[in-house]
Amino acid sequence: MTPLVQIENLTKTFGGVQALRGVSFDILPGEIHALVGENGAGKSTLIKCLGGAHAPTNGRILVEGKPLLPGVPASEAAGIGVIHQESTAFGDLGAEDNIFVGREPRRAGGLLINRAQMRNETRALLSQLGENFDTRQPVGELSVARRQMVGFARALLQKSKLLVLDEPTASLSQRECQALFTTLRKLQSEGVALLYVSHRLDEIFALADRVTVFRDGAHVATKNIKEVDKAELIRLMVGRDVTEEYQSRAGSGEPVLQVNNLHGGGFHNINFQVRAGEIVGLAGLVGAGRSEVARAIFGVDDYQIGTVKIGGENLPKNNVRVAAERGVALVPEDRQHQGLVLPMSVGENISLAVLKNLSNAAGRDRAKEKALIQKLMADLAVKAAGPNIAAQSLSGGNQQKLVLGKWLATEPKLLILDEPTRGVDVGARAEVYRLIRELASGGLATLVISSDLPEVLALCDRILVMREGEISGELLRAAATPEKILELALPAK
Amino acid sequence: MIQRLFQQREYAVALLLGLSVLGVALINPAFVSGENLGSILFNVVPFVIMACGLTFVILLGEIDISVGSLYGLCAVTMGIVASPERMGQPVIFAVAAALGLGALVGFINGALVVWGRVPSIITTLGMLTALHGVMVMIMGGDTIKNLPPGLRFLGTGHILGIPVPLLITALVLIFCAVLATQTPLGRRIYAAGSNPHAATLAGLSVNGLKLFAFTFTGFLTALAALVSVPVLDVIENSVGQGYELKVVTAVVVGGAALKGGRGTIIGSLLAALLLGMIGTALIFLKLGDAVTYWERAIQGGFILLAVLADHLARRGEHS
Repeated sequence: MTPLVQIENLTKTFGGVQALRGVSFDILPGEIHALVGENGAGKSTLIKCLGGAHAPTNGRILVEGKPLLPGVPASEAAGIGVIHQESTAFGDLGAEDNIFVGREPRRAGGLLINRAQMRNETRALLSQLGENFDTRQPVGELSVARRQMVGFARALLQKSKLLVLDEPTASLSQRECQALFTTLRKLQSEGVALLYVSHRLDEIFALADRVTVFRDGAHVATKNIKEVDKAELIRLMVGRDVTEEYQSRAGSGEPVLQVNNLHGGGFHNINFQVRAGEIVGLAGLVGAGRSEVARAIFGVDDYQIGTVKIGGENLPKNNVRVAAERGVALVPEDRQHQGLVLPMSVGENISLAVLKNLSNAAGRDRAKEKALIQKLMADLAVKAAGPNIAAQSLSGGNQQKLVLGKWLATEPKLLILDEPTRGVDVGARAEVYRLIRELASGGLATLVISSDLPEVLALCDRILVMREGEISGELLRAAATPEKILELALPAK
Repeated sequence: MIQRLFQQREYAVALLLGLSVLGVALINPAFVSGENLGSILFNVVPFVIMACGLTFVILLGEIDISVGSLYGLCAVTMGIVASPERMGQPVIFAVAAALGLGALVGFINGALVVWGRVPSIITTLGMLTALHGVMVMIMGGDTIKNLPPGLRFLGTGHILGIPVPLLITALVLIFCAVLATQTPLGRRIYAAGSNPHAATLAGLSVNGLKLFAFTFTGFLTALAALVSVPVLDVIENSVGQGYELKVVTAVVVGGAALKGGRGTIIGSLLAALLLGMIGTALIFLKLGDAVTYWERAIQGGFILLAVLADHLARRGEHS
């Protein structure tokens, strides 16, 4: 079969960062072709190149043998329709206006739009998709699923031969997903090819004929879906087996944190220590009191009795400033909101927590600040075009590294991480683990709060399990299994 | 029902307008005399015409507050070109000069916003001040008198028994309403204002649409000056001052969302009528000498009410 779309050696660079590194693959007429890859693998960039929103830096796209011209209208004319992840609907306008924007049917010699025709065609398209609603109602008032149908109708109208779907099920309910799949199969049976981008691998196995894997902007593989299984797909995405074995590390040093007989709101009788170079996990169910202990140590919350010692010295209660000065850093769970100032640059985010140390009599010591930023970005392998681009333009995993970098700039002795990889995709997760291990090897005492058992097992040298405000048990990594941890975490009957 | 009133602002404004006219008429029947209603209509002519243009600018999520000064400068340009005491040129030249100046200034506003990436509130605030400065420079403390009959015809003449200013206003209203609802250009302006990013992805030139809206507003501002200034024989050196606030108020009260994407010509018209009526109504209510102070307070109150209603209407909607 001759391919519908051929992507040949496509390259796209944004200010020095290569988002696509010479990818080549093709899409056959009428197939459902899945595209997978971690965040930042280059999927969105490819979609924008196909849709005409980005012009490729190098390489080309052929549609039915003819090179695709630049620009959105050219892509539409060539038969490529894109249903974007972010809402591209005009919320204030009705379905009929949404569908026909930019290609309105005319009357009165082309001067006026033909609204009757718009309405009738919109109704016909929607009923073809199994939908029936008021085409004048502003689509901002419609459900997400219906808004998506408006997008499909628009693509159908332009007689797309290839429909590109970017994470179409991200905000749909289970039932809406099923309805969507029915629609997609129907479109396929009508000869429309689909490029289906999703993180949900189950969907891909249920829907797709073939799957293409991207990693770090490069094409890794294109396979028939029957030739691969889930484990192999994940391996292709991350480039290594995800079930990383715990790597036993050299012995630990002096105790950095000592918690003795701590009682406070939501926890009691807490005793443990974390030594230099050690990673200690705080496992347990949500609500077991783990975050409360961490907050008490860092001084955010008060506690009734007990002592917290850093490097053998008592830490005053409820005093974040002193805790920070003595080398305690807490990385909060909600990084995007509490951990980063997204519109600020990568460099500014890193130096934010240590501006005081970077100041001299004349104000900010720019040279010192620059050196610090460069060192940390290199140490953490943050993938960014430079220190001056906005933090929000980074992928999730790289934002994550940036949060770590911000706290590492304070040169802490004890690092407390609350759910360090929540909302981070598999590959970036492995990177974050590697980073935490490296830091520990450099002598940093680390306390990891995590509800993710594989994470605790992959990362920690020692695991403390909390249950209903108390430490119910302690496991060395060598002896720990998911079952044992769960047994200690579940409430006693 | 109340929700609907908030969402369809035209209904709310029409209702308020009707109730106010009725209320004032009950207290003082002379308010609804043909003569008084006619004078109210004449007074709102410039605001209605300018509000038509500004509606498109606000639909695109931008704003133009330079219209007050531009109105004044167009009036002065027209007067200087036409008045026998000044240049004494044919009226057609005066008309062309005013319309050309209006469109040019509108285009410059648009160019600064689109290509210079200066926020429109700053661009047009600068333009408001600059144009006012130019006008003071040209006029000093002077006035322009003895406008030629050809020019006076625009303000006082009749065609088919209809006063020229009202006829032109009606034509502008019909043209703009059709433009907004029935033409590809109008629908694209709504789309681009509703979601500029998506509009770009749909292949629309958002910048082109903005350039059009600013230029069109400048042109209509000049037209407003042409049909309302020659009602009198004199052009004062303060003509147009403060008009920008009334025009912006009319469009916002009429239901246009400052974020863009929402608003109608009919809403702007109704709100302009409502605002234009208040001043006269206050006089007819015989509240005493302080009424002129009340007028501005009421105008301001309407803006705040409109913004609040907008907020309430949008609450609970998806994204």
